[in-house]
Amino acid sequence: MEMKKETTHKSPIERRKFVKMLGSAVAGSTILATTGVLFTKFRTGEETHYWQIDPQKCTHCGKCETDCVLTVSAVKCFHANKICGYCDLCGGYYRSNVKDLNTAAENLMCPTGAIQRKFVEDPYFEYKIDEDLCNGCAKCVKGCTSFGNGSLYLQIKRDLCVDCNECQIAKVCPSNAITRVPLAQAYKLKG
Amino acid sequence: MKRIYTILVTLFLAATSGAQNLNRFPKPDFESGYQYPDTHYALPNEQLWLFIDIFLLVALMSFVAWAILKKQRRIPIIWVSVISVAYFGFFRSGCVCSIGSIQNVALAFADSSYVIPVSVFLFFILPIAFAFLFGRVFCAGVCPFGALQELVNIRNYRLSKSVTAVLGVIPWLYLIFALLYAVTRTSFIICLYDPFIGIFRLGGDFGLIVFGSLLLLASIFTGRPFCRFLCPYSALLSLFSEVSIWKIQITKKDCINCDLCHNACPVDAIKNPYENKVKEERMQGVKRLLMYFLFLPLIVGTSAYVLRQFSPELSKSHKDLKLYEMVMEQERNPQSLISIELEAFYIDGGNIETLEEKVGAVKQDFKFFGTIAGALIGLVLGLTLINLSLKRSRKTYEIEHGDCVACGRCFSYCPQNDFLNLKYTGK
Repeated sequence: MEMKKETTHKSPIERRKFVKMLGSAVAGSTILATTGVLFTKFRTGEETHYWQIDPQKCTHCGKCETDCVLTVSAVKCFHANKICGYCDLCGGYYRSNVKDLNTAAENLMCPTGAIQRKFVEDPYFEYKIDEDLCNGCAKCVKGCTSFGNGSLYLQIKRDLCVDCNECQIAKVCPSNAITRVPLAQAYKLKG
Repeated sequence: MKRIYTILVTLFLAATSGAQNLNRFPKPDFESGYQYPDTHYALPNEQLWLFIDIFLLVALMSFVAWAILKKQRRIPIIWVSVISVAYFGFFRSGCVCSIGSIQNVALAFADSSYVIPVSVFLFFILPIAFAFLFGRVFCAGVCPFGALQELVNIRNYRLSKSVTAVLGVIPWLYLIFALLYAVTRTSFIICLYDPFIGIFRLGGDFGLIVFGSLLLLASIFTGRPFCRFLCPYSALLSLFSEVSIWKIQITKKDCINCDLCHNACPVDAIKNPYENKVKEERMQGVKRLLMYFLFLPLIVGTSAYVLRQFSPELSKSHKDLKLYEMVMEQERNPQSLISIELEAFYIDGGNIETLEEKVGAVKQDFKFFGTIAGALIGLVLGLTLINLSLKRSRKTYEIEHGDCVACGRCFSYCPQNDFLNLKYTGK
């Protein structure tokens, strides 16, 4: 009888301790189980962490310029010289239907003047992108893909991209062209 | 590395040479010996940075644990906060953070095709493991968001208990919705509505920067509003901290009930002594509690049902469903000027059946996960209500370990921790 009395007296503290211990056990095993389950996943696939544009899917809609979290987008125009036609009348350089083919700003496609043009030999011109000026608006890409070889294309610069957990451009990209790639292929290049 | 590129490039050329927009103009025949320029794109050592991130995370958390449990000092926490704001916040611009990593982990569980990077997983599990061992040492100053609020906090105006109780439910609801939107691959809402990232990146969504600044302003006058009333990771950590193995003590000596620590606590985690005035028979109390727990499944069930009914509405924020709506509108009454989304859809082949299949799968997902989310919401609401109705007597000031963010303010306020003495006598 007396023993029973003692246990009922003691019980609240003991019970609370027991519940706490149970809680600890559950918490600890949850951590271990989560690690265990996801550990198997690490081995099955290559780590994909770095956002890149698939130039084949890109529809040069212009969202890269406006939707990047950086104030000047981490997306820049890349130029694949090896597939460039070196045309004088370049669809990425000049706007369509301009009267005079000269380098006056109203005739040029690039709103920031980031495309540099250099004479190579008759009739070829070399085009180069000044990445500090480029804002990733894709106007030249559209021109080049529609009228030329498609050597101008957009890509995410790895040294500028801040690797958001979810790329804000990928979220709005109409053609789902932006995906994560493993570090081993950090750039999806063209040409 | 270069070889990989060449292989990729050749593969790429082979695959695309038939594509219509390539080689409209032939490769020029240069006579002047023109050489193609060497294009080289910057490739920073990203793996090294990830390694440093993880190393610093562990080092800082261990340091905080040592300072809090062993030394009982606050100064180290301030230094850790400064380092964290500077490195994780401004230098690494906040991504990936532990708060956001919840979504990656949830997605990894729900979608077997998603491969979670090891670094992201470590960012998720390490603070939890530390919380389980030492309490919320991550929140103390290693989390750049917590650190930022900690550094600006000057005054401690106490919010009323009812306000704290109501606002305290928000992190749980936020967590549940974040999980729902993550597992359905709709959006990472924690990342989308992050109030401080714009401040760390010195630019971003204007509304969010304003919201973040307001939060920072508020945290001057009251402790950590973001941590307490918004952060979903804090909700998760509080669970593990509640049952942590080594617990924070304000003083290693006996409490003398002076109320100083209670006044100093910015997050209301120190509960004052309390004498339960309502005397209730023990059996009656047990019965009352049992009644509550019988009531709980009812709340859970109702809320699960409600969210299940709402799941079609919720699913509308999914990209595929938005596209589907647009396509249907276009099919019903065709426009010549179409949006870029539709343009991309039709360029890609415009296969409505595949889209319908995708939409069906998304809706199904929302129905299933929405029901679970609803049940969880019910559980959170029910347990919160039950918790509010429980009154426990306390003889001394006690730390609510789930709420304690290990900021260390209370140590120097406790007269039992005689720091002056310690300093000068070297005891």
